[in-house]
Amino acid sequence: MWVRNFAGIFAVVLLLTLLVSPSWPTAQEPEGQGVTFDDLLSGLTEPAQWLTFSGDYTGQRHSPLMQITTDNVHSLVPEWTFQTGTVTRGRGFETTPLVWDGVLYVTGSNNFAWALDARTGRPFWRYRRDLPNDLTYGASAPVNRGFGMLGDRLFMVTLDAHLLAFDRKTGGVLWDTVLADYQVGYAATAAPLVLEDKVIVGISGGDYPTRGFLDAYDPVSGERLWRFYTVPSPGGPGSDTWPSSDVMERGGGGTWMTGSYDPDLNLVYWGTGNPNPDYYGADRLGDNLYTASIVALDADNGQLEWHYQFTPHDTHDWDSNHVPVIAELDWQGRPRKVVMVANRNGFFYVLDRATGELLLGKPFSDTTWAREIGTDGRPIILNDGSKGCLPDYWGSTNFMPPSFDPARRLFFVTARETCATFIPQEPELVAGQSSFGGVVQVDRTKGYGALRAIDVVTGSRRWEFRYPSPAMAGVMSTAAGLVFAGDNEGNFMAFAADTGQNLWHYQTGSNIHGAAAMTHMLDEKQHVLVASGTTLVSFTLPD
Amino acid sequence: MFAFCLPLQVRSTQEPQPDETTNVDTGTRLYGQRCADCHGADAKGFTGPDLTGLWVSGQSDAQVLHAIRFGRPGSIMPSSTAPDEELQAIVEYLKSIGTVPVDWNAPGNIGRGHAIFGAQCQQCHWSGQDGGRLGPDLSRIADTRSRAELAHSIREPSAVIVATYNLVTLVTRDGEEIRGVRKGEDAFSIQIVDVDERLQGYRKAALRSVVVEDESLMPVFGGERLDDGELNDLLKFLGTLRRLGSG
Repeated sequence: MWVRNFAGIFAVVLLLTLLVSPSWPTAQEPEGQGVTFDDLLSGLTEPAQWLTFSGDYTGQRHSPLMQITTDNVHSLVPEWTFQTGTVTRGRGFETTPLVWDGVLYVTGSNNFAWALDARTGRPFWRYRRDLPNDLTYGASAPVNRGFGMLGDRLFMVTLDAHLLAFDRKTGGVLWDTVLADYQVGYAATAAPLVLEDKVIVGISGGDYPTRGFLDAYDPVSGERLWRFYTVPSPGGPGSDTWPSSDVMERGGGGTWMTGSYDPDLNLVYWGTGNPNPDYYGADRLGDNLYTASIVALDADNGQLEWHYQFTPHDTHDWDSNHVPVIAELDWQGRPRKVVMVANRNGFFYVLDRATGELLLGKPFSDTTWAREIGTDGRPIILNDGSKGCLPDYWGSTNFMPPSFDPARRLFFVTARETCATFIPQEPELVAGQSSFGGVVQVDRTKGYGALRAIDVVTGSRRWEFRYPSPAMAGVMSTAAGLVFAGDNEGNFMAFAADTGQNLWHYQTGSNIHGAAAMTHMLDEKQHVLVASGTTLVSFTLPD
Repeated sequence: MFAFCLPLQVRSTQEPQPDETTNVDTGTRLYGQRCADCHGADAKGFTGPDLTGLWVSGQSDAQVLHAIRFGRPGSIMPSSTAPDEELQAIVEYLKSIGTVPVDWNAPGNIGRGHAIFGAQCQQCHWSGQDGGRLGPDLSRIADTRSRAELAHSIREPSAVIVATYNLVTLVTRDGEEIRGVRKGEDAFSIQIVDVDERLQGYRKAALRSVVVEDESLMPVFGGERLDDGELNDLLKFLGTLRRLGSG
């Protein structure tokens, strides 16, 4: 009791001291202005930090940490569980926590957010946005995938399509900027990508009559610096792939998954979503640029440097909202700067990230839609759906992050094998109402999921581990030769990167949906975290 | 008496109205877009519940509309901000498929059917106060399945097997064979009700094989085992297995 009282008195004294000495740094906090651009550039080479959605700008989600190995991972145990207290109807707890100086910064469903003690999972503060009750897309997918951070600011987008900046120490909102009108169908869910002096944010709502865009904001003032529309303006480049300006005005093309960044080329890489209506293409004849594509934008001004469209004139809701994975590869005898995508359409792609040149496009799933890319860079369509089932509207993979092991040159992706019949119907286009344009019937008896390892030079499959049902969990790998993945049955698992052998599993109690693991060092121990259901669990090796 | 009134009431709601056809079409489309993911393309349930028995189990249009509008607290069933007309169209669609055709008037003897049920079915099927638990509970089966569907399931039980009734055979490392009905499975474990009705979970690492059979555990009741007269009697009895009380 005495000890408790003493601790309490000490805490009060410390608090008073802090209040009267605002410039006094706390014991473990580095002096200065919090997270710097250099910190962001250093990425995962600094073992105690994870400062951006994928860990660093490459999107590889591959950690150099080696304490947890293929030999000891079997003894990995949960050290704490954090309960969010908020449910995600129909979707998942999709966040990747950020960690800085022993504190986790976590976003949750319904625009909850927390700062947690990484040692115990106990909160420092909690934020909950007072959301309007007439959300549109945000009501059907009330998710959030994470913070971005710079200095002492955290950045989070909201289901009513705002961008917020927080003080990381208090959770107080510093500024609140409107991205778009949520009542039309917009929402925002992706973790912002923070550059030296910009916060890059994407938008959701491509299942509604909306027009997608990618924005850059000033981290200090919240002012918009540039906007790139994923569907061009009338007369602009790419507008000849649309039949009319009114169709372009609601052509879809969301940007709802975090992109990647090459600081040397100063290019931002970002995936774009489906054209609208999703399944009904008769009133939007043409390729519908720049939907279902990857775009490379000049980070300074948002100008389009190049694009590659994975799925021209998509009618299956095969968004290309994937984390683009950038790497340096030895390609046919010479070094190439590449960007890689395992796409919802079932193909794995390698592109030159300076020019957009297609280097490789091979199926990684059993899709019957197409089996090869023609010399013109377009898929050779074999089955538009009239020759039996196609992968469903969630595709051969989805937004769940993949990972890339540069030493093994293996790309790890959660694959989905499904069988769906698409029945397009002309939708009524009403602002604020979804406009899928048809019905999809999925044969639930035929689906399964798999973690697959793809050799990035040949596109061939090195190994797979099958799950009983199509999975939606992301992947993280480490230099110790481990791959962490999840499944729809709720297992969080570790695999040997070389063989695909399962080495450890933990039943989280909920399907792992969209979330991928992250890892960091704290008190000389490696920790691995994953979000699932309403929980965030931190795992480590026993003492 | 009530049991005979209920289907007649239900029937009356199915009478085509001048503008109802369009509404059902609209509802079919909207259902496919917004509901089928959880409730199944045929509304007979997937991760969400079977919606084909709502009216016969006593729900009213207003109650179904309320559930769609406000969701189901504590479940993943969300609320909806769609216009009333759209929700009403979904209600009309569900009503159009959620009523069991009144075809129980076909000939048959309830008493003889009850005896056949006791001898042939009850070992595996629960009904009312007793019965087996390997097969689906039939206590209210007439509320949700038509006479024709049940006849088909009796003659060809493997034609349609509900997801949680797949027959599995597990072989342990010691060579022991365990048969049962699969209730759940993930990459590392399987949960079954074995033929002795024990709820048992197994780690796959402790098993030599897991074989999911295409055939139902339920035997085929062909003509030699159950002639047409006996089938009619059995169906007549099954037709009495429905919800009693408020309607």
